[in-house]
Amino acid sequence: MADDKAERILAALGGADNIVEIEPCITRLRCELEDGSLVDEKALKGLGAHGVMRSGNVVQVVVGPEADTIASDIEDLL
Amino acid sequence: MTLRVASPVSGRVVPLTEVPDPVFAQAMVGPGVAVEPDRVSAEVVSPVDGTVVTLHPHAFVVATSEGAAVLVHLGIDTVKRKGEGFTLHVVKGEAVRAGQPVVTWDPAEVEAAGFAPICPVIALDAAPEVLLDQAGGPVSAGDALFSWQR
Repeated sequence: MADDKAERILAALGGADNIVEIEPCITRLRCELEDGSLVDEKALKGLGAHGVMRSGNVVQVVVGPEADTIASDIEDLL
Repeated sequence: MTLRVASPVSGRVVPLTEVPDPVFAQAMVGPGVAVEPDRVSAEVVSPVDGTVVTLHPHAFVVATSEGAAVLVHLGIDTVKRKGEGFTLHVVKGEAVRAGQPVVTWDPAEVEAAGFAPICPVIALDAAPEVLLDQAGGPVSAGDALFSWQR
């Protein structure tokens, strides 16, 4: 199930090809993307994200304390 | 039961809304308070008895045996320091007591590097109304910061 969540978050971030870097920081995923406009904010919130903050191609997804686990699950998919 | 949450640092208690980061200021990951730390090198202590479940140089989470998790974040965007200036005294998974040193840092150094050294202390995933007896004004590391009704 956890892998499934990582997969769906990855899809909402525009897929593996859109990821430059993902770094977990306690409660959030800091994502550097090729194209920030591909992010599906609604889908991320549907997956339990508390919030999504965009600054160009850097997008922070607030996922709560399991950020480290989700990030390493996503890394496994890249 | 009520969990006493101790201040991890010495400084001045301020509302979370003063934290220059929307995740904390809007309490997205839980309610809490922030401490504007004294600008001297100091040991940061665990806010509760529990297990260090998440550990970064600049932030950590201690979870109690009942599953209450308290997040301590040392400064804003300090992940970018990549551990520089932070000395850890515990490892992930280690059992700690409230008041036990977890990391040593220097808020003055963090500030000089261009980061806000303010320390949000968050009751992860708690409802706002379960935080009681919030301290105000100056606190010392280990002093009661708030009570978490569970």
